Amino acid sequence: MRRKRVFNYFYVIPAILFVLIFVYFPIIMNFYNSLFRMTSYSDAKTFVGFKHYLKIFADPIFYTAIKNNFLYAGFSILFQVGFGLFLAILLEGRFVGKRTGTFFRNTLFIPSIISIPAVALLWYFVYNPQIGLLNGMLDLVGLDHLRTAWLANPKTAIYSVIMMSQWQYTGYIMVLLVVAIQKIPKELYESAVIDGANEFQKAIHITIPSVKSMLAVTTIITVIGAFKLFSEIYIMTGGGPYNTTEVLGTYMYRSAFLFDEMGYGSAVAVIIFLITFAISIMQLKSFKST
Amino acid sequence: MKKKVLAILLVVGFILSSLVLAETVNLKFLHRWTQEPDKSFFEEVVKEFEALHPNVKVDIQTVANDPFKEKIKVMLGTNDAPDVFFTWPGEFTNRFIRAGNVLDITSYMLEDGSMFDYVGAQLIPFIYDGGLYGLPYRLDAKVFVYNKEIFAKAGVDKAPETMDELMSALKKIAALGMKPIAFGNEQPWAVSHYIAAVNQKSVPEEVWAIDTDPEVGTWSHPGYVDALHLYADLVPYFNDFSNAIKHDQARVSFSQGLNAMMYLEIVELPELERTSPEGFMDKIGVFPFPVTDGPGNQSYLVGYPEGFVCSANTKHPEEAVAFLKFLTGRQMGRLELETLGWFNGIKNLASPDEVKPIIYETTQLILNTDKMVNWLDSSLHARIWNVYAVELQKLTDQVTTPEKAMEAVVKIAKEVREEY
Repeated sequence: MRRKRVFNYFYVIPAILFVLIFVYFPIIMNFYNSLFRMTSYSDAKTFVGFKHYLKIFADPIFYTAIKNNFLYAGFSILFQVGFGLFLAILLEGRFVGKRTGTFFRNTLFIPSIISIPAVALLWYFVYNPQIGLLNGMLDLVGLDHLRTAWLANPKTAIYSVIMMSQWQYTGYIMVLLVVAIQKIPKELYESAVIDGANEFQKAIHITIPSVKSMLAVTTIITVIGAFKLFSEIYIMTGGGPYNTTEVLGTYMYRSAFLFDEMGYGSAVAVIIFLITFAISIMQLKSFKST
Repeated sequence: MKKKVLAILLVVGFILSSLVLAETVNLKFLHRWTQEPDKSFFEEVVKEFEALHPNVKVDIQTVANDPFKEKIKVMLGTNDAPDVFFTWPGEFTNRFIRAGNVLDITSYMLEDGSMFDYVGAQLIPFIYDGGLYGLPYRLDAKVFVYNKEIFAKAGVDKAPETMDELMSALKKIAALGMKPIAFGNEQPWAVSHYIAAVNQKSVPEEVWAIDTDPEVGTWSHPGYVDALHLYADLVPYFNDFSNAIKHDQARVSFSQGLNAMMYLEIVELPELERTSPEGFMDKIGVFPFPVTDGPGNQSYLVGYPEGFVCSANTKHPEEAVAFLKFLTGRQMGRLELETLGWFNGIKNLASPDEVKPIIYETTQLILNTDKMVNWLDSSLHARIWNVYAVELQKLTDQVTTPEKAMEAVVKIAKEVREEY
């Protein structure tokens, strides 16, 4: 019996080794590297202690990056979760027929399966100031005074990238919420109808409370996604103009690979890890409470 | 019996194939041209080299221009570094040399005298700390390419030679209702070419030569501010949204006649010909960046050759250098000129009647200039260039001043200096 119990551990050793080698070891090595000045193309290392962290906290671009990540998270909750919920309730409600609902559900989901580089390039051309669709449409409706270089104007660049992401992922969150709504027992709605509830009241008092756990999950997904943001910014703006669209991911990447500061980039990576780790803890607590 | 014979044949075949495999040299070759016709050119180079060296197999890897600048750094830090790879001479390569990543090919070039096949001035950019580390692949320089028709319509009789003449020409062209200069600075290497020119003309040579060294450079000479004023004077004559447009898009606008001139590399002329409307190339002329009143040498030309180097960690230095010499040598230089329209660094590669007049004319500008001035982004420490680039984009958007821009550069130069 005891031999069997010991033998059982052999089944989990490969998984443990995998996690140790590919997850925990890189995290520890990353923290170790953050204590050195080093480049990606040389073995030479100079110990600097926590100097990188002090430099990060004194760098205004770091705060711009954090602000942009939070801005992205805020917009994502509003659009992807909030508007996604609205769309899910609408498509599952009685105003939209089954076929129409299925059509829109599929159509709105499609952008989320297109690769990020493809979407970023598509929107790059939409936002092009000379030949782009957006400025063209503004000219058409007599709003040519609003023309701008959407991705090169510091006032509009970050919002332009954020809105592109909302276009891409709102459908995905909507589908998750549709699945949750479909699991709500129909009897609850029937009882509400008997009690004289209208659609709005049904949504507020039945639908939304019933999908609370899925709302929690989708909120956590979007917030964590906001802090892992990289490709959209890298492709569309590269962190510009004037570092105004920098996010933690691009800040880390540029430090490590453009400015030849792997140690500094590692320090930024440690900070990203701590932020997303904290959010994950919140996620676990949120799951337990629901 | 049959089975025994078969078995023996298999064993002998295995041993022979192992021997052949053991003698095959595999070279990894990395360049940055992902599109045609350049891609096919390199494939042809490799094919011809392998035909001459049957025991060598060259594996071509390509990465586009901007990602190349990042990827090469990562590759050089691994055991999988390319044996022969593209580079821009100057600080871009020098930091790799200091880190021991690049092979010193001096002895290889002297032993067979092949060094003397190259134009000496085009080897200088690849010399660092007394050693030769690379070979030129294509000559390049920056010139203003202008539309003679638009100039004539605006009443500009000849190509400007001084800054005053240039500003006067720009005013006349602007009066036609167009933005005179096509400029796409979404990737700020484009503005770095302008600034290399104005810096070199506004600052004494001995000063900017020192300032490009991150260990000692201060960037505090007032000439740098004057240089940015010269650039700022040109900004109102650029097309709208310069920072939001790629260089290629601006070049298309120029070829469509939407602008009168553009600051272009001469290696772009073949591409301009391929993508412009018929007859456009007959309308264009070139002139170097105009002279100024500054203390810098007014006859220098902005531009540096691009080239290739060998990895210091290559397992096959003889073969790698042989490939490097072949790639940049006379035979492939002739092919390069025929298929891509570029001159490499070999002496007397072609006579005037063998190439288009504009290509010959612009190449002679390079060969006859006193000195070439490196592209600014390739000659600076990465962090200094990053700050400089941001300030230059702000200047292009007219949201900062030359004085504030250089303050930021001086500050980052000090931070970098203190780390050495």
